[in-house]
This record gives sequence, C-alpha cells and structure tokens, in this order.
Amino acid sequence: MSGVKVSYEDIVELIHKGCTGISADVQVLMRRALERETVPSARVMLQTMLDNVAMAGRLDKPVCQSPGFPTVWVRYDDGMPVAGLREHIQKALAECTAKGYIRPSIVHSLTRNNPGDSSGEGVPNMEYRLVPGLPYLEIIASFKGCGAELGNASVIMTTATLGKDLSGLKKLVLETVVKAGGIPCPPSALGIGIGGQMDVASKLSREAVSTRDWRDTNPDPLLAALETELLDSVNKLGVGPAGIGGDTTTLAVKIAHAATHTAICPVTVNFHCWVARRFGVRIYPDGTVQHLFQEGDY
Amino acid sequence: MAEHHLTLPVTDADIEKLALGDSVYLDGIVYTARDMAHMEIRALAEKGQPLPEPLAGSAVFHAGPVALKDGDGWRLNVIGPTTSMRMEPYADLIGRLGVKLIIGKGGMFDDSKAAFQRYTQAYLQAAPGCAVQIGAGVRAIKGVHWLENGMPEGMWVLEVKDFGPFIVTMDCRGHSVYDDVRAAGRQAIAAMGY
Repeated sequence: MSGVKVSYEDIVELIHKGCTGISADVQVLMRRALERETVPSARVMLQTMLDNVAMAGRLDKPVCQSPGFPTVWVRYDDGMPVAGLREHIQKALAECTAKGYIRPSIVHSLTRNNPGDSSGEGVPNMEYRLVPGLPYLEIIASFKGCGAELGNASVIMTTATLGKDLSGLKKLVLETVVKAGGIPCPPSALGIGIGGQMDVASKLSREAVSTRDWRDTNPDPLLAALETELLDSVNKLGVGPAGIGGDTTTLAVKIAHAATHTAICPVTVNFHCWVARRFGVRIYPDGTVQHLFQEGDY
Repeated sequence: MAEHHLTLPVTDADIEKLALGDSVYLDGIVYTARDMAHMEIRALAEKGQPLPEPLAGSAVFHAGPVALKDGDGWRLNVIGPTTSMRMEPYADLIGRLGVKLIIGKGGMFDDSKAAFQRYTQAYLQAAPGCAVQIGAGVRAIKGVHWLENGMPEGMWVLEVKDFGPFIVTMDCRGHSVYDDVRAAGRQAIAAMGY
C-alpha cells in the first residue's frame, strides 16, 4: 500500500475545483429537473442556478459566497498514509481562503471570533473509517452550506410515533420540508439518519447525503423503497426552487440506518442545498486516481 | 408580473408599486448586513448614536461577500444571499430606521410582515447559491464597517447597477409567497392522508 500518495498540491487543486463547481451527479439532476419543471418562475430559478455554475467554472470563482462547513471522510486500510492528511487539508483551506475560493466563514462557536483563514477547533471535521482489505484510499470532502442546517430536525421517535407503515416517520420528513420552505436553498437533497442514539443518527444523516452519489440506489431494499417513496412525496409538496413554488423541491433522498435500542428510534433529517460542493477520490497503490460523482457513473 | 428598475434611495411610492412575482433591478448603493451588523445597528440605535450609513430609503442585502484586498480598497469576488430568518428579531427596528427593501433568501415571518405593512417595505428573493451571477451587478465596493467581526459579518457598501433580477416575494400589504407555499404544502400532506 506504500504506493498510495496524496500530495499537498493535489489537495489544494481538489478543494479549488470543489468550491468553484458542483459535483457532476448533481448537475445531471439539475438539468433533468429543468426539463421536467412546469412552473415558469421555477424554470427561471433552475436556469439561473445552472447558468451560475457555468459562470463560476468559466471565471474560476466560487459558485456560492458561503463555503459552508467542511467535513472529510477518509476510508482506508492499515498502512495507508492518512497521518498527515488533516494538516494538508487545513493548510489547503487557508490557501484557498487567501485566494478567494473560500470566504473566511469559520468562527469560534461562542465568542464568534473569526480568525480569517477558515481554521478552528475541529475544522475540518475528519471522519476516519478503517476498512480492512480496502484496495484504495478514499477521500470525500464536502462543503455543505449552513442555511440548509437551519431547516434540520432531530427527533427521538418511538415504536408508537414511527406509526403503521412508518407513516409517522414519513409525516415527520414531509412536515420538516414544508416548514423549512426556501431556507435550505432548494432544490435540496435530504440525508436521513436513522438509529443508534442521537449522535449516531445525526452523523449518518450527513454521511448519507454527502458521500453518496445522488443518483445511486440504496443496496438495502427497505431503505431503497423508502428513499423512492419519500422523494416522490416531497416533490408533490410544491415548495419549489428557492422555496417560491414549483415541482422541483428535492433532488435526492439518502437514508442511512443503524440498529437502535428497543425503546427508541432516533431520526435526523439533514438538508443539503443544491450547491453540492464536494469531491471524492479513490487512490490506488499503482497511482491510479478514480474520481467519484462523475457524469457517466449512473 | 411587472419588471421594475429602481434607483436607491427609494420612496414609499416605489414600494407600493411592487406586487408578488414582480422582478426588480436596482441601481445605487446597497448595504450588506447579517447577524453581527444587525447587532451593531441595534446597539447604536439603542444608545441614540448615529449609524455609519444613512438607512432611510435604503436596500439592505442579507449577505456577506467574498472580497479580495486590492491596494487600499477591496475588490468583489462574489456575493449572494444568506438565510433571512436569522434577522427576523430585528424586523421592527429595521423598518423604523427607514430601510425599504430587504434582499435575501428563504423569506421572513410574521414580525416582518407586520413591519412591512407598518413602514412600507418589501422583501426581494435573490437566487440562492448564485453568487457569481448576482455579483456581476456590483460595480464597486465603496467601503466596509465592522470588519473586525469578520468578512461575512461586516457592513459592506456596494455600488450596484442593474443589480438583480430579484423577485418580490413579500409586499407591503401583508402578502407572502412563503406563507402561500407553506399553506399549499400542508394541504398536500393532508391530501396524502397523513
């Protein structure tokens, strides 16, 4: 595994590209949404969003002024070079901030002091996953906007409140989307974390929406069916792009599950805005680099 | 759906012409203000001290730019709207200070609706996440106050031309697109049998 290498320059370029575009899978879904959208003002909104992405790429500027909050998932096998990764990413965040690709938006949670270089305790949030036998090192970084966070909901459900055929869970998701309206910058994607205790459900919700391709199918048939049903139902609510009405409310629903205690069912509904700034790479021992979330993958 | 080209500062008569769904382009000076700038404004207003900029007839943009230092001044890279609900606690104060237009995203709530009717104001929805397109309407950064609160939280003074389009989503008569959309959404949930 010693062939796996990640240079500082690679990380800078991945973050730079990640913040001046949106991932290709989401561009595909946005274009499909525009083809289907019937409300004129919603069509204008979607077209403006797609035009803005094109302008950002052409002019080498950030798609959105807010870089959101960075979380990085690292999946690796024993012996892979993950030790210096956090420091590389921290330094690259500072460099991309100085160059205007990232607005300095990270503050101390209580004093609200902004150091000006996107640094701070726990930034970026690193999520390491040791996967024995994994033939590559996978790095997925997500810059998720924080307006979306303002619509999130965490609830400890129970056997009774889950309801018959999960009607209570489905109602919670639909009501959360209506209440949030335009706040999470729709068309959104929903990450839904279910299980464990509150902390587990919350982490799963973010991992589901940030690390999966928004066009993929959940390998668990129960969750796949639930994702399909919820996506269909949410898009009947009429919230629309920017929350001002339309057919396109949500581009994807991604659910992650863990078992829980018989007394509870923790659920977190986690919004992602349409501006999916992220990158994913798999680096193999022979030096091959595979990029995730690409146009032709599905 | 009318299209309006307004020059700042605007008058009550300008605001009364705006109806839900209309599009608006702005010329003149626009001030950004997010959470911390609103706190600073409140602190000065409560002490009876002058504000750093004249807000009568103005447009306040819920936004923080990506700006790059350029000699003694600043150059805009991009700018777009932030979530307006966080500024809801300042609804009446902002109306009392004479702000006529609020530009943001996601809309505002009942206190703002009341203020919009009392002080003749309107809310303009900017395309969320479209910071390059929106930034193209900014001609120059004329100054910044309270930069010690961080780049997003300063009050940036922007000279704008053909700035928009923004969509009127809350008017001065108590109408709100967001209320209508939420009511329809709740009906849809009920129709699904939940």
